[in-house]
Amino acid sequence: MFLEKARWPLIAAAIAGLLLSACAPTSTGTGSPTPGTSASASASPVSKVLRMARNAEPFSPFVPWQIDDNPALFISVNVYDTLLRTTKDGTSVEAGLATKWESSADGLTWTFTLKDGVKFSDGSAMKASDVKASLDMARAGEKSAWKDVYVAIKEVSAPDDKTVKIALKQPYAPLLSVLAMFSSAVLPEAMAKATDTKDYDNTLAWKTKGTGAYYSEGWKKGDPIILKRNTNYWRGTPALDEVRIEYIPDDNTRVLKLQGGETDVVDFVPFSQIAALNTQPNVKAQTFTIQQTAFVGFNTSKPPLNDVKVRQALNYATDKEAIIKNVYFGQAKVMNSPIPQGTYWDKNLVGYPYDLEKAKALMASSSGAAGFKMDMQVRSGNTNMANTAVILKDAWAKLGVTVDIQTLDTAVVRTNYRAGDYMSTTQAWTNDMNDPTEIVNYAMRGGASPFAYWTRYNNPDLNDKITKADLEQDATKRAALYAEIQKIYSDAAPIAPIAYLGATAGWRSNVDGFFIDGLSYYRFEDVKFNK
Amino acid sequence: MGRAAYIRRRLILMAFVLFGVTVVIFGMVRILPGDPAFLILGDRATDQKAAELRQQLGLNRPFLEQYWMFVSAGFAHGDMGQSLLYRQPVGDLVLTRVPITLALAGYAMGLAAIITLTFGITAAVNKGRWPDQLIRVGFLFALTTPNFWFGILLILLFGLTLHWFPVAGFGETFPQHVWYLFLPALTLALQLSAVLIRNLRGQIIQTLRSDYVRTAHAKGLSERLVLLRHVLRNALLSTVTIFGLQFGFLVGGAIVIETVFALPGTGQLLIQSITARDYPVVQAITVVSAVLVIVVNLVVDLSYSFLDPRVTYE
Repeated sequence: MFLEKARWPLIAAAIAGLLLSACAPTSTGTGSPTPGTSASASASPVSKVLRMARNAEPFSPFVPWQIDDNPALFISVNVYDTLLRTTKDGTSVEAGLATKWESSADGLTWTFTLKDGVKFSDGSAMKASDVKASLDMARAGEKSAWKDVYVAIKEVSAPDDKTVKIALKQPYAPLLSVLAMFSSAVLPEAMAKATDTKDYDNTLAWKTKGTGAYYSEGWKKGDPIILKRNTNYWRGTPALDEVRIEYIPDDNTRVLKLQGGETDVVDFVPFSQIAALNTQPNVKAQTFTIQQTAFVGFNTSKPPLNDVKVRQALNYATDKEAIIKNVYFGQAKVMNSPIPQGTYWDKNLVGYPYDLEKAKALMASSSGAAGFKMDMQVRSGNTNMANTAVILKDAWAKLGVTVDIQTLDTAVVRTNYRAGDYMSTTQAWTNDMNDPTEIVNYAMRGGASPFAYWTRYNNPDLNDKITKADLEQDATKRAALYAEIQKIYSDAAPIAPIAYLGATAGWRSNVDGFFIDGLSYYRFEDVKFNK
Repeated sequence: MGRAAYIRRRLILMAFVLFGVTVVIFGMVRILPGDPAFLILGDRATDQKAAELRQQLGLNRPFLEQYWMFVSAGFAHGDMGQSLLYRQPVGDLVLTRVPITLALAGYAMGLAAIITLTFGITAAVNKGRWPDQLIRVGFLFALTTPNFWFGILLILLFGLTLHWFPVAGFGETFPQHVWYLFLPALTLALQLSAVLIRNLRGQIIQTLRSDYVRTAHAKGLSERLVLLRHVLRNALLSTVTIFGLQFGFLVGGAIVIETVFALPGTGQLLIQSITARDYPVVQAITVVSAVLVIVVNLVVDLSYSFLDPRVTYE
């Protein structure tokens, strides 16, 4: 009946109305962020809201020691603060909420003096008891994901409001680096203690009360994350009123939004687009140096990968420069050592420069001389790893190795390497602290679960040296120990190092001060709009 | 049988279909390899912690018991469980997103209807001449282009170059939603129209040859009236059937399009949840989508009698 003659003009009108309403905001400008007007919007002195588009949404709650994903971590470092901070280059620590720290002669007791006048975002004063409560939850809270890094701590005490004492079970050199980790952040005592209560992590955890530059009044998955300026911030009130973080999963869409002026900052710009973006007038893009590696892990318990010569041969046949050029568009560096470029990284370690003849000779004298088939498990969705695998398949074929590339969901890759059900896998590592203790204990120490499960490599001599390096208080001796650890592990070749990666970001040219530090965190405290 | 009885019977059938959907989806997500425990706990988790988590989430219980929990809680209390990954009630996560996907699908269907009628009729009355050829070739291009790429092309043209529409996002007020959803809806609509236009064009051409059309012309009715009242109404019947069936296609297409245009709908959540092996969320989205598709198909079936009074329901 809607096709009766009289109705047609009505339908036509409805169609016209629909089309008009679809286009209306462009012509009438009803207060919506019309593309192309961003220049005039940012020139307005009233509202200084930084819009950021990010590649992922947090799934951990904003409770520092319960965080196990980067998007939540990047929020945490903007709303919470730690006693010490990692320096911008990520290789050392500097004063944070503590102004002074000293160790007893035996290295078993550390005393920290808190900065005067530090307040939480609600205006209440931060006290030593808040630090104690937070650290206690981080090292012993039921839901803490980071208990392992605090095992050396025997007791935390607060003799007065300004002093925190940490007693250790044994001397522990990485302590200061551990205290600069995001998981060691300070919450008000009552709030810290409440974090283990049932349902806290899916209700209250999104509302923060910290000493960081910003605070969050709450968040619901699917909504933008809104960080408001903390006027009580101890390093001075931030220039931005608000940071508004939107979730845009698609790499191309994020970059297009930046180009269209719909957002001010984006993260994870594809390496291939950095150069192109910098040729455009209103946009900048950069790769920042962070402590991240990309490598292939070999399952050393599977023949013939249990033969060190096979693993070394694969290493020599890996043309890292070609991968960096073709996969990372030159935005990465050759990885010489098994650890990232943080503290105690041995820049002089030779590693495995590309040498096909040497590789062939090694393979010919190994148990893999007759050639073999090897699966390489790659996480789906990671284009860089997939492209690396393709190049390696071709390169290693020259040694008689048939690489079978298997693209699998992350959950499957993880389950498989837990079960030892793989031969090789493309992997990445990012340091969470500047000290190498994290990576050597986690990735190189063999034996008990979950250690070294990318490789199943277990060398008791290396394990001893790892323990010794944790106990050693003298920085020079530690450096020597870590150099030795890197050399032993590199010679044994349980992994094929590929590249030191950077973190990429892009921003509108009126944004000033955006910076990704050595541990890949970005803080908005020093970001402002110029003009 | 009257319409009420027909609807009653269809609703009973729907319960059976839903039962089948729950069995299939429950089975499928659990056949997928990959352990959600390691995904939730991260690389660092010990085997013992993973085992504790599986216990806590009920993942180590027998399949039948897990299935019963899923079905009984879902149907008896409307409780779809907790997301494994986000530790939030699944209902909150999914239901806030359903309207976005529905709005996108509805918008796309609206645009598709306009596009189909306009171009379908134009092509049919110009059969064999250049407007017909142009429409057929043009929409063949829309049909064969992957929609994520097509979406990016539209963004480049209308978002970046012409600034008519935003690049991506959802907006905050209703007029903004309409404005922001236009390009994603158009992307879906163009592909959907490609199928519909071919069908409608063929039907119109066929109907134009029938005797009653010749009679109508002989009566001296205007060309316009013949086309709209006699031809289109008869030609539309099969197009409407396809239109209804394509709703399922739209919900599927929305999954990809929501990612390209950064729309916080169920599609985006579904992709994340499958990757994360977040069983309860995957189950909930699938069941909700199935209900929607079934309901829309029922509505389409009922609409036949409006188009053609000869249709009865038995």
